[in-house]
Amino acid sequence: MAEFNIQSDSVDVTRIMEQIRQRIQEKRGRDYTEQQIHELATVKLERFLDPQQVRSDLVEHYRQLEAPEPLDPTPHESPGPEPERFDFNEDTIYASSRGQMGKLIRLIRKLLNPILKLFFNVNSVVFALSRQSEINTWTLQLLQQQADLAERVTTRAGAKFAAREELDALNYEVLNNLVVEMTRLSVDMKNHRSLVESVASRLDFDERRARALESVVQSRSPQPPQNADDESTSSTGSGRTRRRRRRSRRRPGETATPDSGTPTAAAAGAQGNTAQPAPDTSTSPTDMAAPDIVPRPNNAAAPASTPTVEPSAIPPETTPAPPATAPSPDPDPRTPPAVPPVANAGSPDPPPTPPTQGPSDAPAPATAPATETVARPSPPGDARADEQ
Amino acid sequence: MKLAVVVQRYGAELNGGAEQHARYVAEHLARHAEVEVLTTCATDYITWRNELNAGVERVNGIPVRRFPVSRERNVEDFGRRSTQVFEEPHSVGAELAWLRSEGPTSPSLINHLRRHGDAYDYCIFFSYRYYHAYHGIRMAGPRAVLVPTAERDPALGLRIFGGSFRRVRALMYNSYEERALINAVSNNAAVPGVVVGIGSEVPAHPEPQRFRQTTGIEGPVLIYVGRIDENKGCRELFDYFQRYLRLSPQLTLVLIGNTVMPIPTHPRIRHLGYVTDQEKFDAMAAADLLVMPSRYESLSMVTLEAWALGRPVLANGRCDVLCGQCIRSNGGLYYESYEEFAETLHSIVSSSALRTALGANGRAYFNAHYTWPVIERKYLDMLDRLNREDAGQVTRPEPLPGWFGRRRRDLPPGRQVVDRLPTGPAPRAGCTQDAGPSASDA
Repeated sequence: MAEFNIQSDSVDVTRIMEQIRQRIQEKRGRDYTEQQIHELATVKLERFLDPQQVRSDLVEHYRQLEAPEPLDPTPHESPGPEPERFDFNEDTIYASSRGQMGKLIRLIRKLLNPILKLFFNVNSVVFALSRQSEINTWTLQLLQQQADLAERVTTRAGAKFAAREELDALNYEVLNNLVVEMTRLSVDMKNHRSLVESVASRLDFDERRARALESVVQSRSPQPPQNADDESTSSTGSGRTRRRRRRSRRRPGETATPDSGTPTAAAAGAQGNTAQPAPDTSTSPTDMAAPDIVPRPNNAAAPASTPTVEPSAIPPETTPAPPATAPSPDPDPRTPPAVPPVANAGSPDPPPTPPTQGPSDAPAPATAPATETVARPSPPGDARADEQ
Repeated sequence: MKLAVVVQRYGAELNGGAEQHARYVAEHLARHAEVEVLTTCATDYITWRNELNAGVERVNGIPVRRFPVSRERNVEDFGRRSTQVFEEPHSVGAELAWLRSEGPTSPSLINHLRRHGDAYDYCIFFSYRYYHAYHGIRMAGPRAVLVPTAERDPALGLRIFGGSFRRVRALMYNSYEERALINAVSNNAAVPGVVVGIGSEVPAHPEPQRFRQTTGIEGPVLIYVGRIDENKGCRELFDYFQRYLRLSPQLTLVLIGNTVMPIPTHPRIRHLGYVTDQEKFDAMAAADLLVMPSRYESLSMVTLEAWALGRPVLANGRCDVLCGQCIRSNGGLYYESYEEFAETLHSIVSSSALRTALGANGRAYFNAHYTWPVIERKYLDMLDRLNREDAGQVTRPEPLPGWFGRRRRDLPPGRQVVDRLPTGPAPRAGCTQDAGPSASDA
């Protein structure tokens, strides 16, 4: 929620509301609203499941199916008390329930019956009501039989439905688990696919790096053979001197040990053992990136034929000994590398640490010059690959 | 000039919006003319039960003539008839039956207008939707002036009220949105009308510290004044406010007014109940802003009072009137969803510059259009104009259809009619007409 810059006399509510609504729209772009979350929750699983054959909404469809109501043998609504039965005959319409008085009334009604017949046909009414009484009795018996039959059917069907309900619950659980597992597998598969793509890109990068190294080695191959001896000498003798010097530099407060040598001595030794003058790494860190510096410092103690990258990455015929050059200057670890180190550039396997080195001999920044030495001679296309 | 103010209820203690509006207008017009109030004996707008004595009494110096209500409202019958006319195709007879059921049914009041209507120069009717206004306008004829206090509710879509809007001498609207609504539903643009509204008497020096000391409320305050009712949007307000408290837990919502719904129990929601005017204005002055969550308002006096006190307003943007008032005044913001509620509320509470600017704009808007001298002048100008015009050109009330016509179910549901009306705040150009009746008002 941002603040507004208000100039007291220039408040425009319409503009402020537009800003507020625009801000809400922007927020909705970043955060899902509740409605959008609900929409996402109800989205079909086909978007996530790769195997299209799977019915992703099966669970939902299953859930929407209305379970049949269990048959209840007892009626939900009682029809109420049974009406009182009575027999109807031709004398019923003249009867009275008033005892002695009733007899008198009945007599009078009988006497007046001829007059009554002048108005309408009483016999037909009596006949109809009598027949209706018989029909009612017959219907009642029929309904009783039907009720007994329905009760027997309901009892049997209820048992079947109960068993069916248990089976449905199990089916639902299995179905739900299946869909959940399928979703999980789909997500895992997507993760693995992306992982494979990542590994493939790294492999491609390594191959290109190998080709770049090969081209460098081939460009150095016409140099005199004594350089190889010098290189082996320098890689065994001066390399140790260099590392001693590096250790002393990493601990500024520590005094130099007798076998560590001073930077000056190391530089002198390096100069005496190489055909080309080594750069003064203690005073000019930028010289580390000289294109003619090839070997990796942490591989300097290895045999001269050991390449600076994994052997498998370089073809056998393109893995000669490195040219006799000055040993790679040890970069100042406090100086940030000009390009990202190899580990950061996607190289999955850093070079192995020589066993003669102590724990401090294989720091991560020590691999930075190797990257530079590889990256510098590479064509622009490879440089882009390094950036990847 | 003798004026009759005809309203469904009247009293110094009554809090209804239209009733209070009528009382204020009567008391202020009494300074310029002879005013008599014609009303009923009822005080309860739900039952219309006769609780006051019939006859003449004086309220704040104004003679008030009360007439009994012949029948109380049957709530069930009223609800059934409301459903019939609002939701279903119906007939004119059904609408008239709905009007009788709504009340306040006072034939004696109508008879008084028929017998003694000539004694008044003009009869100012309040609230178009009640029995007294519909039948009274038909009796008063060319002397009828209507203050409709109309809202966007289904009653506005009933056919019988179209005649009321077309046959009165003049209409005193509360807002431009109300005028646009009535013009659209009744096609009465030819009837003289002016947007007036209502003034308010706000104390010049309220004491917010007194409110703070009395209630012990500290920190920013959001205040709501009015009936705490779901129909007033209070349920939505409570919901939004409690959600907003998760973001800004120091804000306090103060509620003033009687409640007809449960209020959530929360330490940041304080209900003060019904308070005196002085306490109300102290509370409004102490608040950072006023919130008006109602969707159905024809004017909202509380909003005007907040602006009079220099306080910004946060209104429900789905209410055209409130939204239009905020836009015209530049004195408040409005919301239509929780996101907008949270953003606008936070903007006002967190920015004192915005709060001050909105409040200042609101105060200027109130002073320009809603002080009592301005309101009185608008009424008097309109009455003078009616005096100059020929009353004979006003046609007689539209005759009601015959026996068969009243029973022909050919009228659409009221809600359907209202839903088809244009929505949204009135154009901003309308604010230039606030100062008085202009050519377009005629």
